[in-house]
Amino acid sequence: MTLVAFILSVILGTGSLAYGYSQMGLTDPVRWFMLLGILWLLAHWQKYYWFSSVALFVTLIAAAFGVWVEFPTIWMLLGALGGLLGWDLSDFARRLSYAASTDDIVGMERRHLGRVGIVAALGFGLALLSLYIRINRLAFEVAVGLVLLAALGLTRLVIGLRRY
Amino acid sequence: MSRSLFLGFLTYALLLAGVAAVSGELIALALPFVVYLLVGYLFTPDEIKLEATRHLSTERTSPNTNVVVTVTVTNRGSDLEEVLLEDMVPADLTIRSVSTPLSAGSPSRHLVRLAKNDSYTFAYTVSGPRGGYGFEYVRAKVNDHLRVTGREVQVEARGQLFVFPPVIRLQHVTIRPRRTRVYAGTIPARVGGSGIEFFGVREYQQGDSPRIINWRLSAHDAEADVLYANEFQQERVADVGLVLDGRLRTNEFAQGHSLFEYSVQAAAALADALLTQGNRVGMLVYASFLRWTLPGYGKVQRERILHSLAHARPGGSDIFADLEHLPTRLFPPESQIILISPLHEDDFSPLVQLRAQGYQILVISPNPVKFELSYLPKNRNVDLAGRVIRMERALLLQKVQRANIQVLDWDVVEPFDLVVKRMLSRPPAWLRAVGR
Repeated sequence: MTLVAFILSVILGTGSLAYGYSQMGLTDPVRWFMLLGILWLLAHWQKYYWFSSVALFVTLIAAAFGVWVEFPTIWMLLGALGGLLGWDLSDFARRLSYAASTDDIVGMERRHLGRVGIVAALGFGLALLSLYIRINRLAFEVAVGLVLLAALGLTRLVIGLRRY
Repeated sequence: MSRSLFLGFLTYALLLAGVAAVSGELIALALPFVVYLLVGYLFTPDEIKLEATRHLSTERTSPNTNVVVTVTVTNRGSDLEEVLLEDMVPADLTIRSVSTPLSAGSPSRHLVRLAKNDSYTFAYTVSGPRGGYGFEYVRAKVNDHLRVTGREVQVEARGQLFVFPPVIRLQHVTIRPRRTRVYAGTIPARVGGSGIEFFGVREYQQGDSPRIINWRLSAHDAEADVLYANEFQQERVADVGLVLDGRLRTNEFAQGHSLFEYSVQAAAALADALLTQGNRVGMLVYASFLRWTLPGYGKVQRERILHSLAHARPGGSDIFADLEHLPTRLFPPESQIILISPLHEDDFSPLVQLRAQGYQILVISPNPVKFELSYLPKNRNVDLAGRVIRMERALLLQKVQRANIQVLDWDVVEPFDLVVKRMLSRPPAWLRAVGR
């Protein structure tokens, strides 16, 4: 179950980026994304789990670059989301490999996939909302201030939650 | 780098890039990561309070016998979404599992979800070589379900496993120490009295049983009008000191071969037999340090000696490289010392010194020459070297025997009980009667 989800995530991540880049007429990066996907799958098969972090980093950089040069945002967002899911599931598969065969592996997989799915949907939904809901009369300084405030708030929240 | 740090770095990088580039899309790109981190932190277990108990199917066993270890972990804290439990098995023990194929992960490691007050029990089978093993704790790695945060705790679950050397039953070990103790036993005490073996003749005294009258001698000396009575040798228990030689120079050979296990087996068998005969037995392991088991009687002492043997390891030390530093004060004067050692040529003079101090000495010597030749390749050089070293050993043993020290040269291919039966057992009474 996890393996299928992982493969789908990798396809989603690299495929979305490839499609987004191809829409802009760039063919070379498409090949590189395909290659990245294949390498990621091979690395997972060979249990080189560290490669997932590299792959996530690369997909995120590619997505950010795509957004910056105004490629279709939705595909870039899906690419980053696929990278995040692939990274998470790769690590989860590694943890599952420690389990004994008598453990409730299926139950753990089901629960994990359900939660990760919800998290991904929530993140994606929020991102979409932020893309489509725009406040046009906001000065740049105010926006910067809000972002910094959000980052600060996020940090405080995280610290608070960790203490709790 | 931890997962949360890595993800946090990416998220903040995106947010900062968004601010720098005045791009809402870049910030939107960071939102799934923000949600991921937040959910991870939100579900961090707030209290980790685990308890563990351990049960071993047996705490005393013999080498390479399966022992089932059962561990129960109970969660007394908040719900734990993902716990990786790993029992810390002592390094020398081998994990075997009947029900779980090893390819599916180690049976001592389990990934579980533990709700509040839930328990999880797992079992696995271990076996190992001779030794004493301590189980200390179970390691628990606790994560939130996204593994954004993780903590590792060690839950105490103590247990002990003793793998004793196999004890070969010996029928009888004949020893003749100069001095015995006062209690009745099986060792001839060189003192007349009640017993089985003929000791001498004395004048019949009032109160003696008529059955011990030596009629033949009395008739021979009829003119003196004296009756003679047979006297028998008293049989008593004795003090026996076992010395197990664990020096590397005498026990370890090329390619990792060792005679020490054979010596340990012999020590266990002798201790068992001598204690069964009622003797007071102490044991000294002479290796990199001295491990002394105080003399004692009976089953408790047998346990003590087996415990000591379970922990015995060969070792090297400059001080104890030869037998010069054998602490003779540990052994009662004129008692029996049994040295279990492959012997080295330097051991001759310490043995003679011991003998001169009045100890009765028996050397059980696993034959290192035959042992080494058994695994070396057969060729002319090895044959020649074998012949030379065999002669050297024969000379050494001869010298030792001339010093009135009994030596049992044991080819370890042969079972120890058979060797002891042939060399050290007491002949039956009828055979002794005919002087054989």
